[in-house]
Amino acid sequence: MKTSYSIKAILLAIVLLSSSCKKYLEEAPNNALPTETSITDASTARAAIIGTYDRLQGYYASSYPTLGTITTDNVIFNGTLSEYLQLDQNAIPTDNVITVSAYQGIYRTINSANSVITYVPLVNDPLLTVAEKNKILGEAYFIRALSYFDLARGWGGVQLQLKPTTDLSVLKGIKRSTLEQTYDQVLADLIQAEQLLPEDATTRNRAQKSTARALRARLHLYRKQWADAESYASQVINNTKYSLVKPYKSFFTAPFQTAESVLELAYSVNDRNSYWNLWYPSSSGGQFTLKPSDGLVAKLNNPAVGGTRNTLIAGSGTTVYGVLYNTTSTSTDPSYLIRIAELYLIRAEARAQQNKLTEAAADLNAIRARADVPATTATTQSALIQAIEDENAIEFAFEAHRWFDLVRTERAGAVLGITNKNFWLFPIPYSDVQSDPDVTQNPGY
Amino acid sequence: MKNLYRKGFYLLLCVFWAVLSYAQVTPTIQSRLNGTVLDAATGQPLPGAVVKIKGTTHTVSTGPDGRFTFVTGQKFPYTLIVSYIGYDQKEQVVDGTPVTIRLQEVQSQLTDVVVTGYSTQERKYIAGSISSVSGSVVQNQPSGGFNQLLQGKTTGVQVTSNSGVPGGGITFRVRGNNSINASVDPLYIIDGVFVSNADPISAGLGNQQASNPIADLNPSDIEDIQILKDANATAIYGSLGANGVIIVTTKRGKRNTKANINLNTFQGWSTAVKKFEVASGPEVALLTNESRINTAIDNGQDPSTVVLPFPNPQSLPTYDRISGLFRTAKSSNYEVSTQGGTDKSTYYVSLGYLGQESIVKPSDYKRYSARLNYDNYLSDKLKVGTSINFTRSERNLSGSDNNPTGVINSALFPRSHLPIYNTDGTYARYGSFDNHIALIENLDSKAVGWRTIGNIFGEYTFLPGLKIRSSWSIDNTSEYDNSYSSTLISAGIAVNGSASSIENKNLVLTNEQVLSFVKSFGEGKKHNINALVGNTLNTVLNESTSASGTGFAANSLRSVSVAATRSGSASRSESKLVSFFSKASYTYNGKYTIDGSIRADASSKFGTNNRWGYFPSGGVAWRLSQEEFIKNLNFFDELKVRASLGLSGNQNGIGAYAAQGLWSSGANYLEQPGIAPTQLANPDLTWETTRQFNVGAELGIFKNRLSIVADYYNKYTYDLLLNVPVPYRSGFASYLQNYGAVRNKGVELGINSTNIETDAFQWTTNFNISFNNNKIEKLASDISLGASGRNISILRQGYSSNSFQLYKQLYVDPQTGNAVYEDVNGDGLITSADRQIVGNALPKYTGGLTNNFNFKGFDLSFFFYFQQGNKIMNMNDFFMVHGGTQANIGFLPRQLERWQKPGDITDIPRLTTYSANPTQNGGAANNYGGNVASLSSRYLEDGSFIRLKTLTFGYTLPKDVLSRIGISKFRIYAQGTNLLTFTNYGGLDPEVSSQSNNQNTVGYDWATVPQPRTFQIGASVTF
Repeated sequence: MKTSYSIKAILLAIVLLSSSCKKYLEEAPNNALPTETSITDASTARAAIIGTYDRLQGYYASSYPTLGTITTDNVIFNGTLSEYLQLDQNAIPTDNVITVSAYQGIYRTINSANSVITYVPLVNDPLLTVAEKNKILGEAYFIRALSYFDLARGWGGVQLQLKPTTDLSVLKGIKRSTLEQTYDQVLADLIQAEQLLPEDATTRNRAQKSTARALRARLHLYRKQWADAESYASQVINNTKYSLVKPYKSFFTAPFQTAESVLELAYSVNDRNSYWNLWYPSSSGGQFTLKPSDGLVAKLNNPAVGGTRNTLIAGSGTTVYGVLYNTTSTSTDPSYLIRIAELYLIRAEARAQQNKLTEAAADLNAIRARADVPATTATTQSALIQAIEDENAIEFAFEAHRWFDLVRTERAGAVLGITNKNFWLFPIPYSDVQSDPDVTQNPGY
Repeated sequence: MKNLYRKGFYLLLCVFWAVLSYAQVTPTIQSRLNGTVLDAATGQPLPGAVVKIKGTTHTVSTGPDGRFTFVTGQKFPYTLIVSYIGYDQKEQVVDGTPVTIRLQEVQSQLTDVVVTGYSTQERKYIAGSISSVSGSVVQNQPSGGFNQLLQGKTTGVQVTSNSGVPGGGITFRVRGNNSINASVDPLYIIDGVFVSNADPISAGLGNQQASNPIADLNPSDIEDIQILKDANATAIYGSLGANGVIIVTTKRGKRNTKANINLNTFQGWSTAVKKFEVASGPEVALLTNESRINTAIDNGQDPSTVVLPFPNPQSLPTYDRISGLFRTAKSSNYEVSTQGGTDKSTYYVSLGYLGQESIVKPSDYKRYSARLNYDNYLSDKLKVGTSINFTRSERNLSGSDNNPTGVINSALFPRSHLPIYNTDGTYARYGSFDNHIALIENLDSKAVGWRTIGNIFGEYTFLPGLKIRSSWSIDNTSEYDNSYSSTLISAGIAVNGSASSIENKNLVLTNEQVLSFVKSFGEGKKHNINALVGNTLNTVLNESTSASGTGFAANSLRSVSVAATRSGSASRSESKLVSFFSKASYTYNGKYTIDGSIRADASSKFGTNNRWGYFPSGGVAWRLSQEEFIKNLNFFDELKVRASLGLSGNQNGIGAYAAQGLWSSGANYLEQPGIAPTQLANPDLTWETTRQFNVGAELGIFKNRLSIVADYYNKYTYDLLLNVPVPYRSGFASYLQNYGAVRNKGVELGINSTNIETDAFQWTTNFNISFNNNKIEKLASDISLGASGRNISILRQGYSSNSFQLYKQLYVDPQTGNAVYEDVNGDGLITSADRQIVGNALPKYTGGLTNNFNFKGFDLSFFFYFQQGNKIMNMNDFFMVHGGTQANIGFLPRQLERWQKPGDITDIPRLTTYSANPTQNGGAANNYGGNVASLSSRYLEDGSFIRLKTLTFGYTLPKDVLSRIGISKFRIYAQGTNLLTFTNYGGLDPEVSSQSNNQNTVGYDWATVPQPRTFQIGASVTF
């Protein structure tokens, strides 16, 4: 009798313990959401698009602008980290840290955007109005367009991921598309974005209708679709929300967000951008890895070329350094993605290519006048196109422009001496080549 | 649900007390016998011993003086059964009064006792592979952690100090690297407490592990150390045991011994064996000029048109930064301890202080430790006890290694012709580097740790051999790190000073119950059974809070609260483990042993599909020396062969929520909260499992003066918890899954010899050597990492872990002076496909040789450690033999060996910064840049070495002299550490691992503090 009782008691204890074990072993983090319940209501939908902007900051804070500058004649390597030396020498190994981090960062952004595009339409929350839903979706389409555009101009045609990665099976069988297919995807997303996005008179740090149009103008320029480029550039230039600010330095002077900006990603003391650190000398607390070249310094200091754009540099002698990113004490420099000045130069180039030389010169001179530089002396089509190229180099000396301009105009050989066209594209990261059966490396790497 | 556990515990307690009260019943009868029960060894009376007349229920207990009295109707002679906890039960026939009964203590009676998983066994019956090291081996050494001091002391462990920073991180492996992404560190158990070995310091020190958490235990408190190596020994620890288990037993008092007081101290002075050497100012100028001219030639320019950066090299000054870096570092150690015991209780109490400076300014390490070990025999059946250890550690941290604003970097890398100070007397800085003097004078980064390792237990003996033990343990670490960068160091310049304050808390709670049964029975006690069953509940909680601020009104203001801008963060993670286990061992006639164990573990870290893991093991041992045919040889005193096979698991080192699909918060923008995907779900995630086979032999000859232990093992770890790289287009970099396998196999040999043993002179020798071969048997794809994205380390199927992948330099063309590399794929170009595995950081074998001599009161010992076959990536050469490509970095003298003119034979190519044609093999671009980018085998060196690790000479004063002044022992000694090193390695010291915060980036030497040479004198007195 006694034993049967105790056996029953033991069995009961085991049953109780094993069921409680299951609960006892359930642990959940307090700083993350389960994937299944990530986007479920208005609040998480908003948080998800904010997270997508955060990812965009991830690659625009430092790596992408570096890829557009140190690779050219404007900026030279002055530090110790060999990944920057490799970029400066345009001898980029497949595991170059900067190209890998940009590539990875862009696809992280795309995965966030894909998640928003897929899950936000499914949210059924009265607090999420149709207008807000459209805004969120428009922003996601815009960010995805920008991300694929940034991939295409750096790496060529890439693998198009249009669904969020819920598990690894969604990756299977997606091969690299052509450059044209990638740009087509960018265009498709921009058309969506332009429809869905709102427009107001002040927002410059989130995507708006004009932002989508501005990127579209740039896309058409890259695709040599001059009339479209001109037309979309005009739509943005004609928006009174934007103007060329004077003096030149005011757009990169705190508190930022000037009328110059079509899109700038904002930072704060809680969300820092310490890109200045790569530009400033160690006596100012920086690393001084990125240094303006002697040639650029001479041009900026030439009143007929640089004009007031000489405010992009400071220091003297061998310690001349770039100050576009200058919030050394707060680390709050914006990432400058699209400025209205670019739209003028896009239109100038598009017009010049269409042989509308007077209008082209007018656009170019608008930029020169703002920098207190005399009007261009170029009169022929080819001279004007060259003048626009030179103007781009000065106007966007420390932004992600010159490298991509020289590659798109196929001038990287002539200007930078990189005659092997294979090196006009960055390599696909080493670890992707190892882990992805569907990817092919760019030729020459 | 936690309530259920509490209820379960109360239930257990009830059972406990019920049994207890039942056991205390005593009847009475007539007649008289007086007796005394004494400890056979000390002669001290044993109070509370239980005396029973055989064949009756009549029982009495001894009094405080060990005396007992029977008043009984029984007639002499009759048999008494005397039992006493901790002592062997004795039957004695009495024929008259009074009687004295002497009991043997259980421990002292056994020849060689080994603490194994949850039990204690005699070594001769053990089927597993276990190394034992006496605590004295790791005492009085100028190092904080006992684990560091096991280097070369026993078989099957490989120990490397990652740097010469006192209290800094070490690499400790038992029989090789089992894993790739999960932990490869062993489980440390100190007095039954599962202690954390996670580095609690979060300050970034340049990829270097800042601390050795095990250094929180004062080695002087250690009685002995057991290293459980094979599956038979470790499977009982299931999912915690795959990387080996280190069981530490600290000193405890003995019952009925007089208190003794021990004072111990040493003072040490450490210096650098070798210091960095850099090219002088004129040499830097010469090399820079040469590089400029060569580059011009490569670019097709006329070299005569080149404007030389240094027209007059000889005029350049040389500034010595290196001597400002090093110092003679002081070590001090003071300890006081007392131990003893009364009839009912034993105690060991100690206090210790260790202070050590680093030979590279300004780091140092201080440890204050206190311990109380106390046991009380509440009755002859019930014993309770506690072990508590408190430690406060204080570290002055300074970054070196891969940290451009680290102290060594700032002294080593700047060009030597550049002055240390500006003309106005302020600190001069160049390129990315800080000023080393500024750092030494102004660094303020303190890490203070409080560690409590404690355990209380109750042990109840139902019958002789059958007992239950319940133990409740805590390991609580609280690390408080404060760092301030003033405007005098570059980290604080731009922001007007920056401060951070971080508290990391790590709590490990363990509860365990073990019911054990040990019994010998049958004729001549031929049958021996040792069995146990038990359970544990284990919780690990990590919490961290940090605050940081920038912008201070003055450099003397250092509190985050007064910073102009402030930010904070906090994090928390918790994981739990539930386990049940059992083991049994049966020995027949002292000859044949068979044993088996099983453990079931469930972890909260894993997916619900695969939460439980089962880890069985079995072993056999055969003592041939007990067989007549061996006995007849009259040669072997001990001869045993054993074999074992089993499984153990691993779940350490992965995140608490590793199986869950997660969107992390904190992806904020415009001061609004954001979320973004960060981790893919893997509901199938489960245990990494190690299957190990072991055969071993133990023999003793010449009256056991020569004893040899040899083992062969083969470990196969499968279902690795692997961060499998996934295509970046997924939006993720890797996915944690059970994939891949690693094999470690090896041979170990240990020899102990008493060469001479006379009353006046003793000489003993210990030699051990361990071979391990590591191979990755299965991997999804290559994983390359290390050296700040340069991917010099690689994990590749078919090769060992910790391999280096580089371009293999074949030679420097004597005609052109350009480096020629092996074109692995034969396409005529040098591309990333031509990187290959050119060596690895794992030694083929390691070992040690210790000799001890005693002559009258004098003792002399020396200890050599050796390791062979490992490679070191010399990052100092990588950066400082740069051919002119690094405008802000100086040169090492090795650069002077460069090719200069046709016919020169050297391995250092011609200086140039030419960059075109980066794919051309033998082209100028690949000398120092190009596709190769200096990732060349010319910077990979052999790291083998033999080192005279310690040499000690001591003198113990004669006892008869001392006893007159009330001292029982007095010894003074002098000791040298790292006195001689034989190596071909060109860097400062071959015992180095600069990227130690990742187990897969071993074997780098990168601006790291070298191992110091230490002289010390010490004394120890026992009253």
